Amino acid sequence: MSQASQYASPAVWIVESLLVFFILWKILSARRGRELFIRRIPGLSALDEAVGRATEMGKPILFAPGLSGLDIVGLQSMAILSHVVRKAARYGTRVIVPLADPVLYTVAEEVAKDAYNAEGVPERFNPEDVRFLSDRQFAWASGVVGILHREKVASALYFGYYFAESLILAENGQMVGAIQVAGTPATTQIPFFLASCDYTIIGDEYYAASAYLSREPTLLGSLVGQDLGKLVIIGIIVLGAVAFTAQALCPNVGWLCDLTATITKYFPRS
Amino acid sequence: MSSVWNWIAIPRHGWQFAVFLCGALVIGCAVLMLLTSTPPRYRKTIVAAVTFLAGLYYALEFLIPPALWPLKPPRNPLSEVQPLVATLTQIIWSFALLLGVWNLFLIHGRAVAKHGRGWYNSAAFFISFFAILGAGLLKDYAKNAGLSKASESIFTVLFSGFLTSLDATMFSLIAFYIVSAAYRAFRVKSLEAALMMAAAAIIMLALVPVGAEITNWLPQAGLLSALRVERIGYWLLTSPNMAAQRAIAFGIAVGSLAMGLRIWLSLERGNFFDRQL
Repeated sequence: MSQASQYASPAVWIVESLLVFFILWKILSARRGRELFIRRIPGLSALDEAVGRATEMGKPILFAPGLSGLDIVGLQSMAILSHVVRKAARYGTRVIVPLADPVLYTVAEEVAKDAYNAEGVPERFNPEDVRFLSDRQFAWASGVVGILHREKVASALYFGYYFAESLILAENGQMVGAIQVAGTPATTQIPFFLASCDYTIIGDEYYAASAYLSREPTLLGSLVGQDLGKLVIIGIIVLGAVAFTAQALCPNVGWLCDLTATITKYFPRS
Repeated sequence: MSSVWNWIAIPRHGWQFAVFLCGALVIGCAVLMLLTSTPPRYRKTIVAAVTFLAGLYYALEFLIPPALWPLKPPRNPLSEVQPLVATLTQIIWSFALLLGVWNLFLIHGRAVAKHGRGWYNSAAFFISFFAILGAGLLKDYAKNAGLSKASESIFTVLFSGFLTSLDATMFSLIAFYIVSAAYRAFRVKSLEAALMMAAAAIIMLALVPVGAEITNWLPQAGLLSALRVERIGYWLLTSPNMAAQRAIAFGIAVGSLAMGLRIWLSLERGNFFDRQL
């Protein structure tokens, strides 16, 4: 990587400034009490169904945060875990959380403990249900597969960053007949989850989870800000596509050449 | 600034190592005591301030190119300390790893003590843990050359012979799972499933020589060449598939930016972010 490429270009400043502006603006307007609409996300609505099924069957729930560490993906996974554990604690259903990252393990333990406390049943928290298995990809995967089969889980929830182990887990979840809900920002693993899970949360729906589940105004505002940010990106893509197509059709129009040159300058092809 | 950081980051030995270790422990305990004695309503402010400063480091390091810093020769001084920041992160991770190992010991220790179902698996954990730990330590630190060599051989058997092979075994299982997953995914139950099935069939045919053979009677160039299986497969991969993947990637990027921003500015709400510290 060249020395210049590891720093932000002016185009990054402009686009990121716009995104940050929209997100903060919408967060502030939501905090002032403005009502915001959020569409239904079936995968996230299915979380309650998964908890309900496990409760009815008297079997545990498995919540696997993948190979996520303590980063944005891992923190979002913990936010979802908190929601699931609170729901499960209400009905006395066990939630088993196998972890691959030791830092996230400590956070997950606190999250689970907090969730039981918040529901007023701290005595139901079993420290052994939040388990650090291994930081090696396939050692962790085989550990989770073992839990799936030994505990005969009724619901398996996969929320976090996944690599090749996604299919191994989801197929074993199918074998034990668990209802499976998955969400990952790893685009390469989405097809595997789609093929094997009952519900799959795709792309930025993963980051919408905390807003969707908690309905907190700050988070809902952020979500609307994200949508406006996506409109900015769509606008840039459309502008670029139209400008370059028009220039190809009319190569001698001066202002079109200037426009495409400006776009190329700020958004160079990598 | 980097020279100060470099001085701190140099590996120490002997009495210097002991002094730095004691210093780190004293500073760590002092910070912990200070945080504990701080009234709860200020604790969140301290955590928010530390989070903001840590995030600000990475934001400035990425957003301000060397040319904009008033330094000669042009450089970004924040980039120079990045290896040290990475080392600090690794140290924190290493401490947490001990907690992870402690959790493993607790769970498997109880299983062995209770002699419950499958307790021998837990015993196997302890045997393999101490075997590879012992072999690894002896390999690096044994004074006796013979012992060191023997330990290295044992370590190689345990690591390459067992662990790597078991990893490869788990990985190879994916091939079988792909078949069962594909069987379910490609059952034609709706229009969307039929389209996916057709697209998958074309791409599979495009990737094997027999696929190209099917439409070999079509010309290599010209309008009709676009109907050759390998061309359709290439188009499916690079146009509709790539467009969808990029759209998902854009959404993920904006989503992670929003979440990063909320955490950086301590705006995150709900669940454990609202807890009293």
